[in-house]
Amino acid sequence: MTFPVSSPFPTPILILDRVSKRFAGHIAVDELSLSVPRGVIYGLLGPNGAGKTTTIRMIMDILEPDGGAVRVFGEPGGGRAHSDRIGYLPEERGLYRKMRVLDVLVFLGEMKGVDRRRARQRADEWLERLGLAQWRLRRVDELSKGMQQKVQFISTMLHEPDLMIFDEPFSGLDPVNAQVLKDAVLDLRRRGKTILFSTHIMEQAEKLCEQLCIIARGRKLVDGALSDIKRTHGGHHLVVGFDGSLGGAAQLFADKTLVSKVDNYGQYAELELASGADAQQILQRLVASGARLSKFELQEASLHKIFIDLVGPEAVRA
Amino acid sequence: MRKIWAVIRREFVERVRSKWFWVSAILGPLFFAAIIIIPLHFAAAGGTKAIVVVDGTTSGFGARVADSLARDSAFTFAGLTTPRSGVLDSLAHEVGAHRLDGFLVVTDATVERGTAEYHASNVSSFRDIDELRAVLAALALNARLERAGVDPGTVSRAQRPIKLETKKISGSKTTGESSEQSFWLAYVMSIVLFIVIAVYGVNVMSSVLEEKTTRIVEVLVSSLRPFELMLGKVVGVGSVSIFQFAIWGLGGRLVLSQRAALVGNLSPGDVGREAAFQLPPVPAATVAVFLTYFLGGFFLYSAMFAAVGAMSSNEQEARQAQQPVVFLLMIAYLSVFALANNPGSMYAVVLSLVPFTSPIAMPVRWAAGSVGLNELVGSLVLLGAGIGVVTWIAARIYRVGILMTGKRPNLRELVRWVRA
Repeated sequence: MTFPVSSPFPTPILILDRVSKRFAGHIAVDELSLSVPRGVIYGLLGPNGAGKTTTIRMIMDILEPDGGAVRVFGEPGGGRAHSDRIGYLPEERGLYRKMRVLDVLVFLGEMKGVDRRRARQRADEWLERLGLAQWRLRRVDELSKGMQQKVQFISTMLHEPDLMIFDEPFSGLDPVNAQVLKDAVLDLRRRGKTILFSTHIMEQAEKLCEQLCIIARGRKLVDGALSDIKRTHGGHHLVVGFDGSLGGAAQLFADKTLVSKVDNYGQYAELELASGADAQQILQRLVASGARLSKFELQEASLHKIFIDLVGPEAVRA
Repeated sequence: MRKIWAVIRREFVERVRSKWFWVSAILGPLFFAAIIIIPLHFAAAGGTKAIVVVDGTTSGFGARVADSLARDSAFTFAGLTTPRSGVLDSLAHEVGAHRLDGFLVVTDATVERGTAEYHASNVSSFRDIDELRAVLAALALNARLERAGVDPGTVSRAQRPIKLETKKISGSKTTGESSEQSFWLAYVMSIVLFIVIAVYGVNVMSSVLEEKTTRIVEVLVSSLRPFELMLGKVVGVGSVSIFQFAIWGLGGRLVLSQRAALVGNLSPGDVGREAAFQLPPVPAATVAVFLTYFLGGFFLYSAMFAAVGAMSSNEQEARQAQQPVVFLLMIAYLSVFALANNPGSMYAVVLSLVPFTSPIAMPVRWAAGSVGLNELVGSLVLLGAGIGVVTWIAARIYRVGILMTGKRPNLRELVRWVRA
């Protein structure tokens, strides 16, 4: 089945509608709704234990939601019915240790509906591309961990899926493989595929994601385009660097009419301006108080900062 | 369907490719032969016993006993003596020093009243005691008849033994199978069934466990339903076992066709050994019953083993959790003597109807005696129903268990998994 990647589909590729999952004693996912448009890199962000893996498992039909509905490719129900078009990399990885590399790839390809001959051919192409060609007939447990990770990527992409779902894809990767994966993700994106991945590392999400959803304790805190989220949640963010003398900076930062929040490192501080406060006024007063500045920059907040601001209170409430 | 097929093929190919498969294919029959023959050999022949006869008779009866024992294969005649003072003590000392197995004391009372004494280090061997008793009884009878004036020729003609040949009736046809052969067949079948079901069931279990611990199972169940995965696995491993049987069958046939040459090499001219190589004729119906119940038992037990694998997090836990399943399988196996000796008893009938025991009990009963068609059908229907129910429960445990890590669930949690 081929899928016209260029045609703009009105429906999102994946929709969660008030999906919930309870385990004995606690609610892992609580009425979570989100919508993943086609052809984007979508980040599912949250601290550990937020419900990211449970959400992904429900999307993949590994777990059944207790409430709510999942729609994949516009059809009701989870991903199993569409497994031929979805590539899935679980958080904890592993392969059949005693099997030969090529046989594992062919088998996992078959699981995704690729016939043996085609699976073998594509596996060989991928092994060649990632420099593992001479290992194709070796047993998996003879490979280094890094090589096994590469084999696992190949297995998720062998059937050329339209939708990729990666659960914490960068965790446990060595820098070389992290780069390989990042390049692969961007390449897939260029070819019009949709990628959803979960992470708790905000720097990665900020660099890769166009759309995202932040969850904590099973509930959605915010979702949408990264740029919109930064605009609405970023606040006025000011970075100040000192060159030796701090002058009266400390008193100034304590003035709630000017600064609503401060993260002071001594020679470096990140400020959030109080509503109505003027950055120029702060600059004037800092200079007047005798502070020597090496840096004074108005910034939009990092995703990391937004994440901490949003998730922090949730975490405290827990 | 194509995906189930891929699972079946993976299980089959990976197993048949491993060297362990070929080791067991080749050494398996030797192993079976060893565990079947060695215990029986030791039970039957404890070696010959060296005994001394103490003759306290006035009629020379002891000499006749000594003569008769010297010709008996179960004993080595070690000497004849008279009950002088201290003889019994010194003989007892010899026995204590393991230079002698025992001594038999015969007196005139042996012929008159039928009493004798056997002193030995081992008096629990029924076979030896029976043999001694038979020798003494025959000689005492002779002596009494002769004393009453009966011609010794008449006595020996009167004592000619009767050879009772047993022929098994199967259906209403008399087969060439003797009762001993029936028992052997039943005994061998029970051992093979028990071991093969257990071994391949454990194979299913470790295969489930491997996918669980390596987490591949997540990728798999996002592609096909857990039940389909379990089914593919059980069928895949099962087909390996059938392949194994086929190899054993062909190998056995080959060995039998070369029997004459083999026997010739082993011990030229020894008739007893040739008889040992004479396998009982196994009717096609028995083979069919055996294979049917093997498959039934395999499906029933591997579903349970799959559930055990799914609820465990490592090999150690699995080994513990499998014990109840193995015990269940052992019930029929341990009852093989009761089943074969009395295949029509209430106990045997019940065991051959209950699905957990019928896979071993029914083939044993079938081989040992005849089983009515209605019983066979009833047992098969129950086994089919049992497989259905057990597989359903096992599949539900499997579905939840394969994604669980950490502590092994207790019984209450298992019930919740099944109900969920």
